[in-house]
Amino acid sequence: MIKADQVSKRFGRFEAVKSVQVHVKKGSIYGLLGSNGAGKTTLLKILSGIIEADHGKPTIEGEQIFERPDIKKRILFIPDQPYFFHQTSLLQMASFYKAVYERWNEERFRQLYEHFALDPKAKLSRMSKGMQRQAAFILTLSAMPDALILDEPFDGLDPVMRQQVKNLLIQDVSSRKMTVLVSSHNLREMEDFCDAVGVMHKGSLLYEKDLEELKTDVSKLQVAFKKMPNESFLKGMNVMHYEKRGRVLTCIVRGNEGDIDRHVRSYEPAIYDVLPLTLEEIFTYEMGSVGYEIRNLIV
Amino acid sequence: MFTIDTRSRTPIYEQLMEKLKELIIREVMKEDEQLPSVRVLAQQLTINPNTIQKAYRELEHQGYIYSIPGKGSFVSPVKNEINKERMEMLRKELERIVGEILYLGVPKDEVIKLIETMEEPERREDKND
Repeated sequence: MIKADQVSKRFGRFEAVKSVQVHVKKGSIYGLLGSNGAGKTTLLKILSGIIEADHGKPTIEGEQIFERPDIKKRILFIPDQPYFFHQTSLLQMASFYKAVYERWNEERFRQLYEHFALDPKAKLSRMSKGMQRQAAFILTLSAMPDALILDEPFDGLDPVMRQQVKNLLIQDVSSRKMTVLVSSHNLREMEDFCDAVGVMHKGSLLYEKDLEELKTDVSKLQVAFKKMPNESFLKGMNVMHYEKRGRVLTCIVRGNEGDIDRHVRSYEPAIYDVLPLTLEEIFTYEMGSVGYEIRNLIV
Repeated sequence: MFTIDTRSRTPIYEQLMEKLKELIIREVMKEDEQLPSVRVLAQQLTINPNTIQKAYRELEHQGYIYSIPGKGSFVSPVKNEINKERMEMLRKELERIVGEILYLGVPKDEVIKLIETMEEPERREDKND
């Protein structure tokens, strides 16, 4: 549904996005993850048609997006800082949205602002960050988009609101097959929400995968031996990272579970456990393998 | 109906499968009873509908449920023939647990007695498969 084909963007001398290839399937929730300054926001802005790509083809359902009002009517973008017109209230913003988005659902709008208990006549600029974000979601979801592009959407929302907003998004995904592309740093939160993820670093996409596939591709082994085996034990697997504490080895290994299992068992371990990794761990180790790792700074 | 632990390392679809299996095995959900639809469950648990779809697909593959297109998913009748892989996994798990019990000094007879007090689920004779 949402596709970026070799998309690049340069700001002056800085190359923010380097020939990135992204494919978001219809009805999927795609999490765009990445280090700070990786180019996530730039990519999202290109895919929502706000800025033009220098090279490559960003498309939605096969159609170019930039300067295409007919396509843009069906896609909505919530930036990391929601934008409202100067001195407007929620109701005034709604009348603007109504004029632009043909599918505007007035009943849903009323239901939503009543549910979130926002005063529709109050000035949005005087509301708190979290309330402004709620307002942005109310407006966006009332416009009944086919695709939704969100930049750090849960920033500034309290846990109750997060859950409510997620719940609303999920309802639209399951009932209307809405497609969601979302960037975030909060990996814990993405874990139960996304079904596919893409990881960016320094302007390039490192990889994109189904979340479950990603999780089964990398595993954490805890192995203990009565007698430590020689080097061939580690060399026989694709080890991304390992740690030795006494006789216990903790390894992060990439590869097929069955192969790893056979390999480890052939060394007759005393204790052998395979732990699934959290998304946060996968992210940290994958980033570490491209030289972006946690280095403790002592000041 | 149940809760999902989003902090757990276990993937969500696996947790979901475990919970549903438990309900089926303990006969809280009866034969041919309809499971909640993907849409309803996604909304109730605030979980990606594709994840729930995956759990259902996997359960169907393992023979715990069956689906009728356009109608939904239902609990399968108790089967005599069980998925071999699953059986192997459970056997290993049992070995591990019993191993620990024996290590802790519980006599073997007691473990056997415990198993004898457990009841086998009733199976109907008129199997259609």
